[in-house]
Amino acid sequence: MIEFRNVTKLYQNGCVGLQNATFKIEKGEFVFIVGPSGSGKSTLLKLMLREEVPTEGEVYVNEFSIHDMPRREVPYLRRGLGVVFQDFRLLPNKTVYENVAFAMQIVEAQPKDIRRQVPVALALVGLSKKAKVYPDQLSGGEQQRVALARAIVNNPSVLLADEPTGNLDPETSWEIMSLLDEINQRGTTVIVATHEKNIVDQMKKRVFNLEYGRIIRDVQEGNYTNED
Amino acid sequence: MNTEELFGTYRKGIIQMKIRTIKYIVKEGFTNTHRNLLMSLASLSMVIASLLVFGIFLMLIINFSYNLNRLKAQVEIVVFLEKDISRLEADEIELKIKNDERVLTYTRISKEQAYATLVKEYLEDSDLIEGLTPDFLSESFRIHLKNVEDSSAFTQEMSSLQGVEDVNYPYESLKKLSTVLNWINAGSMVVLTLLLIISVSIIANTIKLTVFARRKEIEIMKYIGASDWFIRWPFFLEGMIIGFTGALVSFILTSYLYNSVESYVNGQTLEYGINDLIKLVPLGNVGGQIFIIYAIIGVVMGSIGSVISVRKHLNV
Repeated sequence: MIEFRNVTKLYQNGCVGLQNATFKIEKGEFVFIVGPSGSGKSTLLKLMLREEVPTEGEVYVNEFSIHDMPRREVPYLRRGLGVVFQDFRLLPNKTVYENVAFAMQIVEAQPKDIRRQVPVALALVGLSKKAKVYPDQLSGGEQQRVALARAIVNNPSVLLADEPTGNLDPETSWEIMSLLDEINQRGTTVIVATHEKNIVDQMKKRVFNLEYGRIIRDVQEGNYTNED
Repeated sequence: MNTEELFGTYRKGIIQMKIRTIKYIVKEGFTNTHRNLLMSLASLSMVIASLLVFGIFLMLIINFSYNLNRLKAQVEIVVFLEKDISRLEADEIELKIKNDERVLTYTRISKEQAYATLVKEYLEDSDLIEGLTPDFLSESFRIHLKNVEDSSAFTQEMSSLQGVEDVNYPYESLKKLSTVLNWINAGSMVVLTLLLIISVSIIANTIKLTVFARRKEIEIMKYIGASDWFIRWPFFLEGMIIGFTGALVSFILTSYLYNSVESYVNGQTLEYGINDLIKLVPLGNVGGQIFIIYAIIGVVMGSIGSVISVRKHLNV
């Protein structure tokens, strides 16, 4: 469960990241965050990851209170969150398998759990056959699927995706979005910041519209914009 | 498997987990050192260069104080006996000096010997010593102490003895010598500290390049939920490996250099006949300590440098 209460984020250079945002996302929901560049989509996700700390208000993610949380607890917050970025962020000197296993190694998982769960995650994203390949030998869509496998391999309760299809062609974008939907069907809360109007309109999920740091619209089964 | 189940298995395997993590860190540390060979070599040459400069200063200081201390030790205490002292009394004083534990060596100079020296010295102005007989002179002891620090107490004791006329000891010049030695020590401490600070910052900057090359990896690790120390340790180890290797190489270089300087200086002093005056400390006497100092400085420099460099990138 994620809850924002009157959250404002001002950056040091005076920019407004988020203004008086209040909302609640229940476990198992699928939410699109849409809006023009600089409207606060990334700020919203960064606050959930505690990459940023709110200037005012309260942020709750799982059992953590982001607004008054010691730095040493940040790793434990993040172990419950999976993250996917526009630029994939894979390690180029590790194979697909190693990239996914790496996420389990650094949270000090048992080797037998690693051996069991990495193939499951790779199968889910449809990359079992490319386990031994290096990222630069994969297409953009495949790379993003590896990133997805890495994000879910530790069984996070929430998956955050910051413009996951920003670098992909429309067809591949659809594949990634359906994967996100599938992950959501398995019980994971999924939050996606995106510019993909077509996909948002067709998937009929909950949509937050952001503008100048304000949530101007929050609708279930919504469209990208107000006008139909 | 949900999060709680996973946490449960983590706790059960906590000891196993630690060993596994240590294995990971050691492996990462060595692979990173090897993988970034060029960067590591850059850091390494920095460690070697600064330790070499440091070592040259250190050896200069060691030899300077060693020779000053030797010089101090060579200063004699001369005890003059009263002119009309009996032979028995003089023997008694000699026995006292002989049995004193602080005395290294002494020579007894009889009136005749003193006269002979005087005649030899004033050979050209023989009218000065005309009419002088050994009886005008005092019998004396020339004494070297084991430890220079005992000088003042020893001198006082000697002058209070029955039958001792005077004790000659160059207090003033020794005091000056000590002051000079203290100033040199203080000055070199300042220079050494400055050198160390400069070295640490240069190494920190060099390792910063290594860290910068891997900032993406660090960022990814942070997002996935790696703890700060989990990220820091491999860099820490990398710094220590570089520091220790640097210490080892500079120690070998220093030893080689020092040995050639030592044999050169010893040859020169022998040639000019001042080999008693100036003497270099043999490396065997201080080599072990110098290596330990090098290793500590190298390892500390390397690890501090790497921690400084990683710190900025941990704040994601």
